Amino acid sequence: MSAAAGDAYLNTRVSVMASRLLDTDTVGKLSRLTLPELAERLTLPALLDDTLGSNAKSRAVEQALVSLLLIELAILIRPMSATGRALILKWGRKLALFNLTALLRSKLHNLDQTETLENLFELPPALRLPIPRQELFRAESAQELLRILEQTQYGLIARQAREVYEQRRDPFALEAAIDQRYYSEMTHTLMQFDSVSLQPLRRVLGALLDQVNLIWMLRFRFSYHLNPSETFFYLVPSFRLLHRERLLELVNIDNLEQLIAALPPPLDAELAGSRSLIEVQQRVAKLTAQEMHRVLAYSSSGVARALAYLILREREVRLLFSLVQGRLLELPDDLLDMGLELAEPHCPTTMPAAA
Amino acid sequence: MLLPQPMKHVRLLVLVEDLPQASLSLAETGSFHPDPRTPDEPRVSGQPGSDYRELYQEARARLEKIAKLVPVPDTPSIDEVRVVYHEELKAIGQQLRNRWAQVQRFEEELRRVDEQERLIREQEAALANFADLNIDLGALRTKTRFLDFYVGMVPRENVRKLQGSVTLAGHLLFEYLQRDDQTHVIIVGPPGEQESRLGTVLSSAGFQALPIPEGIERGSAAEKIDELTQRRAALAEERKALNDQLADWEREHRTVLLEARRTLLLAEPFVVLDPSIRSVGHLAVLAGWVPAKALPSLERRLAESLALPFDMEVREPLPEERRLVPTVPTRSRLLKPFDVLVKQYGIPEYGEIDPTPLFALTFLLMFGMMFGDVGHGAVIVLAAWYWRAKLKDFAWFGIAAGISSICFGLLFGSVFGYEDIPWLPAIWMAPLHDPILMLKVALVWGIAFIVLACLLGIYNRIVTGNLRGAILGPHGAVNLLFYLGFLAGGYGLATSGSFGWGPGLVVIGSLGVLAGYQWRHLTGPTGERALIVFIETLDTVIVYLSNTLSFLRVSAFSLNHAALAIAIFTLADMLGTFGTVLTLILGNLFILVLEGGIVMIQVMRLEYYEGFSRYFSGEGHAFAPIRLRGSSDSSQRIV
Repeated sequence: MSAAAGDAYLNTRVSVMASRLLDTDTVGKLSRLTLPELAERLTLPALLDDTLGSNAKSRAVEQALVSLLLIELAILIRPMSATGRALILKWGRKLALFNLTALLRSKLHNLDQTETLENLFELPPALRLPIPRQELFRAESAQELLRILEQTQYGLIARQAREVYEQRRDPFALEAAIDQRYYSEMTHTLMQFDSVSLQPLRRVLGALLDQVNLIWMLRFRFSYHLNPSETFFYLVPSFRLLHRERLLELVNIDNLEQLIAALPPPLDAELAGSRSLIEVQQRVAKLTAQEMHRVLAYSSSGVARALAYLILREREVRLLFSLVQGRLLELPDDLLDMGLELAEPHCPTTMPAAA
Repeated sequence: MLLPQPMKHVRLLVLVEDLPQASLSLAETGSFHPDPRTPDEPRVSGQPGSDYRELYQEARARLEKIAKLVPVPDTPSIDEVRVVYHEELKAIGQQLRNRWAQVQRFEEELRRVDEQERLIREQEAALANFADLNIDLGALRTKTRFLDFYVGMVPRENVRKLQGSVTLAGHLLFEYLQRDDQTHVIIVGPPGEQESRLGTVLSSAGFQALPIPEGIERGSAAEKIDELTQRRAALAEERKALNDQLADWEREHRTVLLEARRTLLLAEPFVVLDPSIRSVGHLAVLAGWVPAKALPSLERRLAESLALPFDMEVREPLPEERRLVPTVPTRSRLLKPFDVLVKQYGIPEYGEIDPTPLFALTFLLMFGMMFGDVGHGAVIVLAAWYWRAKLKDFAWFGIAAGISSICFGLLFGSVFGYEDIPWLPAIWMAPLHDPILMLKVALVWGIAFIVLACLLGIYNRIVTGNLRGAILGPHGAVNLLFYLGFLAGGYGLATSGSFGWGPGLVVIGSLGVLAGYQWRHLTGPTGERALIVFIETLDTVIVYLSNTLSFLRVSAFSLNHAALAIAIFTLADMLGTFGTVLTLILGNLFILVLEGGIVMIQVMRLEYYEGFSRYFSGEGHAFAPIRLRGSSDSSQRIV
């Protein structure tokens, strides 16, 4: 298949899949369904299995939803060039890094192995951690686990995480290093694209990084009380709004309201009046979603549209999982609406106490 | 040899306490292939071996980690076969945990030494760099009243972010050297409150301080480099000492590690069997496949070794189980290399004829005919013999192919391409003397091959219970009937100019039956069905015609072999004496390597495509009994 034909096919695929994304009204309707109705609507038979406890049901549902996302990812990468495939697979590896973080926490805090294993995602070979999980489990410590991974394609992430851990012995620093490395590698992969795809991809990844940087910045500064230097170090400068120089200015601000006011447009206007980190998180997630929809609607780059679609789909999967979790835990409807971003969150406490 | 070894399904009921012993006994016999299917009875759902398996895997992982640092044999001999129980396995795991902690210390120390050596190299590079600068290096060592200096290196990918971070802390960062993936930097800034903020950032960034040596002054960097070289030598000594200590440790703990390995080998059969074991209460059920011949010895061994009562139910494989029954591989050493080539296509399903002996015979005959030359064959035999240590079982393959080539060379009277040799007349004839006859021989050979393949295919389907397929399926009885009618008609056409009513009726009748059978099994619009049936019927005719003509390559290559030799002789004749000799040698080498390789590929193609595709499904799976590795009991062989 020629490059042009491949791109046309990819664009068509993305358009078909994007037409099935849930809008706010549909999410609202879903939020009013009972558990059996949800199970039928979303084809989640695990929810109706009475032999499973609620934890097991929750895990089964999460795995089922993630599996759907991964199936779509596998379909989309098929017609892509090697560079496009590498970028999308790098994006997908966040799930493998979730597994890695879970394994590290298990080692650091001596958590129950069986329970940890049950909470890991089942991933296809292209996205899995390259070492069998049983072998990773056999590592006697977090350090040993990271040393094993250093020999694989996760080598850079593992090495930095291990060095940080050996210096700091701080689980937070370890996980922050992993997350930071993940996004840094995404930005490096972006540079391999030609100009046709590079611009829209910069928009997509830039929007994602803006969201991530903002949340991390607020969390590190106002919840974990890290100093500006350390906070800045853990951020990954974006291509769009929260670039390096802006981050250098923002991390020095000691107050949430002032920081929001100092944000570039449209972030300042959209986030003005936010009273908590959860509220900021929801609003900026909506902004990112809007940006992804714009790329889906107007970009001609198949890879950029595919990435935008997957980011939206992942968000949708998380919302659906929140909905199912909420129903399993029998949460009241107003809390569910907050979780599904259908209502503004109102936390019982305000920043900086809220985590 | 051709017929498969009959297998039986065995279901063992043993008490849970006896499972380790039962597993060991089954492994010792080497005749039990586990059947991992869940039993039909829903109550029998417990998995009694899961704890044991966990302990085993934990212990084994630790031993493998230790084995990366000190030598531990993989399969030491086991003189005393004994049962390893839960408690012993747990104890071994704990011992290995302690020993791994000890060995890991050495590993960490060696890494520390490597790291220090690396730092020294970086320091040397830094000092060499500083030596060219007209600055007081001593000033960089300590804090001053107004400025703090941090000299060190950072992973290259972190430099830019670190620069931003230190700027926020009121410091400046200067890069002064790049080496591999590290950047050497100097960070300068005011002491005080901001300095404390720097510490966490530097450690997050992977900053490694490169201490400037004490007593360094302007212009003395060169001396300090010598000092660093001495420190490196000291580190080399330290590394040697650590390796010696590791070796001493290994000697001290060798027996324990060897014993641990033996214990794990003895525990292995139970772990391997574990997925196939189910239990309810104290009763455990395990099932598997056993060659019929091995049943008496298996039962005897279990009776001798199990202390508690057990029950063994034996039955024939059910028709629906055929695909699950493993196939016992060929045991003949002579056929081993051919077995490897057959396995490239697949493994015979249980009940199917073992294609290996037939493959070996037909392969050698076709190879010989296509590459018939006494000289070339002798070279192949000698080469296979000379490199037998490297080729191992494949040496025999080379020798057999060479002998076949020699035999056909005698038939053709060809030695290194020379024909009509007075002292070696052709027993039959040289290929180029009568190419048409050669083609006819190849054609007859091909017809016989295809008919035999079809008959074998029909037999295989009958024994696997697929009677309908045997008659009406592709390459079934009706297909064969069509082929024979087609051949008879073709022969009549070639000899008397008439296809003949008899063959014609047979051909049309058989094609009609096949078309009708297909029509009944197709769904869809009538037009589509008609088109598919027409194309499939046409395909049947074309396939059999083309498959038959495909065998003409057997004689084509024998003609080609002779023709290549002629070409080489012609070239050689055009050159002087030295050139002639060289051309003959190189030319024959060319024939051996290139044409020999091509002929082998062509024969494989005929075997796979014209042969195996007719009678060999290749969907079986190999008999893989549980075994006790390292056992010195030579009776641990399947029949």
